[in-house]
Amino acid sequence: MNNVCLKSIDKDNPSSLATYETMGGYKVWHKILHGELSPEKILEELKISGLRGRGGAGFPTGLKWSFMPRNQEGQKYVVCNSDEGEPGTCHDRDILRFNPHSVIEGMAIAGYVMNATVGYNYIRGEFMEPYYRFEEALKEAYDAGLLGTNIKGSKVCFDLYSHLGAGAYICGEETALLESLEGKKGLPRFKPPYPANVGLYGKPTTINNTESFASVPEILSRGGQWFADLGVVNSGGTKCFSVTGNVKNPANFEIPMGTPFSDLLELAGGLREGRTLKGVIPGGSSTPVIPAAEAMKMTMDYDSIEKAGSMLGAGSVIVMDDTTCMVKALTRLAHFYYDESCGQCTPCREGTGWMYRVLKRIMDGQGKSEDLKLLLSVQDKIIGNTICALGDAAAMPVESFITHFREEFEYYIKHGKSMVENDG
Amino acid sequence: MVDIEIEIDGKVVHGYSGETVISIADREGIDIPRFCYHKKLSVAANCRMCLVDIEGNPNPQPACSTQSSFGMKVHTKNEKAKTAQKAVMEFLLINHPLDCPICDQGGECELQDVAMEFGSDISRFTEGKRIVDDKEIGALIQTDMTRCIHCTRCVRFGAEVAGIVEMGATGRSEDLKIEPFLSEGIQSELSGNMIDVCPVGALTSKPFRYGVRSWQMNSIQTIARHDLVGSNIFTQTHESKVKRVVARDNENINETWISDRDRFSYQGLNSDNRILIPKIKIKGEWQDTSWDDALDFAANGIKKHAKEGSQIGTLASKNATLEELYLLQKFTRGLGSDNLDYRLDAANPSNAKVLESNISLTELETIDHALIVNSYLRLEQPMINHRIRKATLNGASVSTINAKAFDFNYRISHSVLTSPQNTVATLSGVLKALLDKNSQTLPDYLNSVSVHQTHIDIANALLNAEHPVVVLGEHVNGNKCSDQVATLVSEIAKASEAKTLNASLTGNAHSAERVNFKPENGKNALQILSSDFTAFVLFDVYPTFDCIDSENAIEHLSHDDAFVVAMNSFDDESVLNCANVILPIASFYETSGTHINVDNIAQSYSASVKSAGESKPGWKVIKVLADLLNLQGFDFTDSSQIADKALSLTPNTSEIEVPISNSKMPNITTVWQYTPYASDVVVRHASSLQQTRIGQISEASVCKATAKLLELSEGDLYKGVPVNINESVAEGCVFVHTHLPRQC
Repeated sequence: MNNVCLKSIDKDNPSSLATYETMGGYKVWHKILHGELSPEKILEELKISGLRGRGGAGFPTGLKWSFMPRNQEGQKYVVCNSDEGEPGTCHDRDILRFNPHSVIEGMAIAGYVMNATVGYNYIRGEFMEPYYRFEEALKEAYDAGLLGTNIKGSKVCFDLYSHLGAGAYICGEETALLESLEGKKGLPRFKPPYPANVGLYGKPTTINNTESFASVPEILSRGGQWFADLGVVNSGGTKCFSVTGNVKNPANFEIPMGTPFSDLLELAGGLREGRTLKGVIPGGSSTPVIPAAEAMKMTMDYDSIEKAGSMLGAGSVIVMDDTTCMVKALTRLAHFYYDESCGQCTPCREGTGWMYRVLKRIMDGQGKSEDLKLLLSVQDKIIGNTICALGDAAAMPVESFITHFREEFEYYIKHGKSMVENDG
Repeated sequence: MVDIEIEIDGKVVHGYSGETVISIADREGIDIPRFCYHKKLSVAANCRMCLVDIEGNPNPQPACSTQSSFGMKVHTKNEKAKTAQKAVMEFLLINHPLDCPICDQGGECELQDVAMEFGSDISRFTEGKRIVDDKEIGALIQTDMTRCIHCTRCVRFGAEVAGIVEMGATGRSEDLKIEPFLSEGIQSELSGNMIDVCPVGALTSKPFRYGVRSWQMNSIQTIARHDLVGSNIFTQTHESKVKRVVARDNENINETWISDRDRFSYQGLNSDNRILIPKIKIKGEWQDTSWDDALDFAANGIKKHAKEGSQIGTLASKNATLEELYLLQKFTRGLGSDNLDYRLDAANPSNAKVLESNISLTELETIDHALIVNSYLRLEQPMINHRIRKATLNGASVSTINAKAFDFNYRISHSVLTSPQNTVATLSGVLKALLDKNSQTLPDYLNSVSVHQTHIDIANALLNAEHPVVVLGEHVNGNKCSDQVATLVSEIAKASEAKTLNASLTGNAHSAERVNFKPENGKNALQILSSDFTAFVLFDVYPTFDCIDSENAIEHLSHDDAFVVAMNSFDDESVLNCANVILPIASFYETSGTHINVDNIAQSYSASVKSAGESKPGWKVIKVLADLLNLQGFDFTDSSQIADKALSLTPNTSEIEVPISNSKMPNITTVWQYTPYASDVVVRHASSLQQTRIGQISEASVCKATAKLLELSEGDLYKGVPVNINESVAEGCVFVHTHLPRQC
């Protein structure tokens, strides 16, 4: 456990350059600076490693990097998405706090591979401590001559800046993030064009998640195959999971892909005494909920979770036991999306508020028998019709909660109160 | 452009690579519902109404942002597309107030139209609807923001076309609001176009509000006459009143936009200040009378007072129609007089050749450098300025030689502040720099001219450009050396192979030039108004506003021995003081006529409404008066016959040598500019425009040094206008920008 991105977590002064270097940090970067590692070789290793984007979509990182027109003239950018805002997720925060140099090195390597000389790390607005930790690490890296122009006489250039967001969930969407980084309101752009062609300031840009960048140095240092072998087929390597909810020991765990969910639950201390598992949201609030029986059968990798009816997403495991009122849980989630919709496009702007209000009405004891049909219909009209994935994210929990826990909703509508006696 | 083939609803259609699906569909007449898409604005893809099914795509895609590619198969009406479109429609309607019966947009509302096809009879939304506070954004646009569907067309219009980001989207989620960022409200001279682009009743015309339902009006194609563009418009009329003016598409002239002046000036027609009945002055007292009596009175008066034709002076408004100007010059010349002019605001109405315009409006978009001389183009000629702004968006640069640093809606790369008395020297400097660069021999008059760095910068900008243009604006009219300025502009253009655009010929001045409404050997406007002529004919002239030396003009016109026939559409004290007979004439939109624009395009129009009260179209009045005076050649029965005759004329273009000499000008001069809403009599009576910030402008700007010489301090009145001391004005002049009448 904890042997890639979170490997410094138990060390003294974990975020310092010295600690990072004792663990073999910047070894890959030095190799690059000495001209011993070509971009082609790096791309090959990344492809072998099976690393998939850790932000939620799971797109193969090596493939994404190879899409960049690296030989095109003009400025290109590397952007790190540290706007970790998905409810239930907090592992990127710990990477920034405890292992910031891995992100710096990962981004620098990406810049070298894609011929981008400038990088930005967009950090969630509420992450003051991680931001300062990252800034300190950045200063250390500059002071050690690891970043800048003509680094250590190698002709390699890479400048890295961090940027603090202003508190909008939507800025975690990569194109909204770019808009925000440009100083505009965080509104997702319609695609195509994709950022690899038209990104930051209209220039080719690659955006990866914090964990993805942080994994890169270790992969290159120990080989793509080593990383791939840690996991399972189609889900290479390890993955950080944030386990929250009704568990005894909520925390971040970096474990190999393919670890059974039951083992992860065990790591988090298991359920409290006398409780039984009701459901699990495996990948963050925007992924569908899975009922207990299915959850206990799944392993933590892309394919198994998809088979169970959900998505690995950002690896944010929310555990709910039998004291959880699913109506209340869904209402809370619906409120989150209603509040965080950017308001730009119609289905999400109007639909999220509509779904929240119907759920709120049910919670207020004013539910109508046709409300469940209405909710399912509204979410269906949002899915696939919006500019960005927030619309889908808002809609999917509604569908899965009502499908898997229908009798709780029906009970609430009929009796005007929760089926769960002691909600907590 | 590669020609590609795609299939829409089973029909094979063609487009160019990268063209959006909606653009191809529109050309092919395939209807796709939309709200945020506007052909002249950037793609936003936010309303999602135009979702269509594109084979191979799991989700429906917006037709407005999807670029077509070879072999693409699009379905706009299959179940997948319809389901998505209906879904979006339902979302759009849940928070829309559906107050169509009391909404001015009702009957011409895009939401209403699309809802007829895609909406449901019964709403499934039983929660409370959203209510949004209305914002007061000025005298022209009424907001009802609860109706807003957040398509952001108005926001994009401001950012992309008007060049002033005034409306924006604040907040997020359901709290997303379209509102002005600043409390001052909307200030753009093109703001009314936001009403046209708004697909719903969120932004409607304030002056029109609650006037009449859209379907009760007739829409009549006509031309706006305030500027030298001649924007194409519809006048929308009800019970013989113009109720509203909206833009009419003409790619070569105004695209789909019109200026606020063209849109809201119609209010002036319905002002209480119209002259509705003929009047004659008997023993100093005005009496209403019949047309017959008034015309007899006028004809007899001319006969009696002007025994010789040369004793008559005729002055006409530059906004008169081609037909009126043609008949009036024929009338004057028929009586044996060559004393006629339309250049009432000219300090030097010389016979020198008029600077020609040799660039079309569409061509203006392709320039890569513009030198603007003597013009606040943005307010003077909004649609021309818009074309130059479009060029700047494609990388063109602009430099200016003006008395003041004006607020343009694009960046000015080089600016020379120059007082009128120094304009000849500045332009000579630029010309010298150009000729030096070209290693051409200098004419004698440039030998002693000094060249400054800014002159060289401008010369370089012109020479480095492939398609430069030099624009001359209306401030030149007030310059005593206007002929020299025009000559130098022409020489600069020659030396830099630039095109020229003469924006000093405002209104319908091109028509006046076409029919030679100025003297060849007789007296010009300044001379006529300083003469002891015994008869004057004024055609829609309002001396206090229109004449450069208004006090002198009024004095000479009011002379005891002078007989003044005034054909006017509006009441005016100065006219009442000096005229002996007033013949009420039809105003804009009340008469047929022709406007010749800067591209030399003659656009004829018919009357939209009948003329107010007993007033008659000007051409008919002139014709009858000519008949009464036994003049030959006035047997026209239709204004189009007059237009044909007038358009067959060619302007007199005799070259006259203009010596360039820094002629004696006073040490301190005044540049007088009316706000765009005081530029002619109709717009001066348009009450809503007068309430706008542009309409209310009244300040005499002067720099500290000049203020000291004139012993002026902040807030003093200079020629009746409050003084504002700032350093954006050239030394040695006062720039007066106002809606108030001229004071000498």
